[in-house]
Amino acid sequence: MRLRGETEPMRNLAELDLPHLPVEDAAFAADPVSFFRKAKESNPWIAGSNLGYWIHDYQAIKDLLSKDDKLRPAYDGIVQMLGAHGTPWGRFTEEQLISLPPEQHAMLRTTFAKKFTPRFANQLRPMMQETIKRMLDEWAPKGAFDFEEFASSFPITVMFTLVGAPVEEIEGIRKSLETLGLAFSMDPNRVPEIHAAYDRLEKLVQRIIAERRADPRRGDKADLLDLLIDTSEEGNVPERQLEDLVIFFFVAGYDTSKNVLTYTIRLLLDRPDLYERCAVDHDYCRKVLDEGLRLFNPGSVPRFTDEDIVYRDVLLPKDTMLWFTLNVSGRDELAFDDPDTFNPDREIDPAARPIPFSLGRHMCLGQHIARAQLQEALHQIAQRLRNPKLAGEYGWRPYPGAWGLKGLPITFTPAEAPADA
Amino acid sequence: MVSVRFVQANGDERTIDGEAGLTLMEAAQNNGVPGIVADCGGNCSCGTCRVFVAAEWFGKVGGPNELELEMLEMHADRRDGERLSCQVTLSDELDGLTVSLPRSQF
Repeated sequence: MRLRGETEPMRNLAELDLPHLPVEDAAFAADPVSFFRKAKESNPWIAGSNLGYWIHDYQAIKDLLSKDDKLRPAYDGIVQMLGAHGTPWGRFTEEQLISLPPEQHAMLRTTFAKKFTPRFANQLRPMMQETIKRMLDEWAPKGAFDFEEFASSFPITVMFTLVGAPVEEIEGIRKSLETLGLAFSMDPNRVPEIHAAYDRLEKLVQRIIAERRADPRRGDKADLLDLLIDTSEEGNVPERQLEDLVIFFFVAGYDTSKNVLTYTIRLLLDRPDLYERCAVDHDYCRKVLDEGLRLFNPGSVPRFTDEDIVYRDVLLPKDTMLWFTLNVSGRDELAFDDPDTFNPDREIDPAARPIPFSLGRHMCLGQHIARAQLQEALHQIAQRLRNPKLAGEYGWRPYPGAWGLKGLPITFTPAEAPADA
Repeated sequence: MVSVRFVQANGDERTIDGEAGLTLMEAAQNNGVPGIVADCGGNCSCGTCRVFVAAEWFGKVGGPNELELEMLEMHADRRDGERLSCQVTLSDELDGLTVSLPRSQF
């Protein structure tokens, strides 16, 4: 495969004098954009690290990541690096939906795609509204709290409702998901707790599937779990893959949405005018979230080259590990005007659209559910937590994996729910 | 080859020749037609390759499939003849097809 550039002599990746990024460091997690901009002075699109290579240029990400047939997901490489091959978590990570070979992935994804459409997401909005309202009824009277902690209960409560899981398990599973979300930070010291967290989640998923098979809900009472079980039976999907899909649903949906909501609120703390508008303008919340997702999203996506690739006259040999920085790609100065400014009203150029949910066949299956729940949450939060102010310092989660803010202390004036909320 | 005319929301027009067997999205992207975003690469997951088929072609192009119809609900500006171009396969009988593009795919 050869993409762009026909005149320069080809160079092997190993021959390049690439900048080295300390992606594991706390200082990097606190400000990766500055590190990538500095790296760009040495090489405009690729940098090295102890964990593999980082593709950090928006156009390079688009050019390469959209070539589904030239790359394969690298989750097996992560399991290998953490020495977890052969463990239950390692097996899941290597065999989860996104990791499957193309034909199997396509079959499963097609089978389940109809349960993750915008129509389905829109049908869930009343449940999402009810969930966030209930949470705000409990939390808003406090007048101050850690917003990240508050946000961490929202997506998981929505997910538990979607599959009818027992609410008394939410807190335990939330802790498990918190641990699993740190798995890709590549810290081998975390491995024992990752295994314990995975075990708890797997047992819950196996139990709720078994219970639902024994006592299915029908008609109006059927939920996502019934639909997934029915769909898996129609498509002859093995039980293990159904379980993996439900586990994946939890893992992929937890700290992604939580971290986006937390970071968006951080942005809005500096723009009370926009925050006020979110309280009265449901549609505008979507624009705010889109712009928030441009400035920040949690994901950096690992891939292996599945064949030799020549890009910008550089040979990326087969089996090279590449990380694609979706999370800061919207801050690329070459692709976006005034990239550091939070402006939900900015014009979106279709040729330079933010790509928080990735590209190609592995594009996030849950993106429509995520967008809907974030919009519903933001609209109601802005109505109930008035005049929010930053009330202390916050930290950052490790950069590789599910990046985001660590804590967000705020104070605010509590407000009652509007009559029609 | 199958000739297809794309009409942008601002009135700009572009006619391309696409290979039969390709999807309308692939033909548009191969020929650099602006406005067909197709983030998911043709997997009917992103809804960003939407076109409006000219009324006289409704019959030959046909309506959206079930999954496509559910995807199209992400858009506020619904219109007759809307399709996701990744779900329309070019064939000789579509030679001369005209489609228009929405103002935005998002």
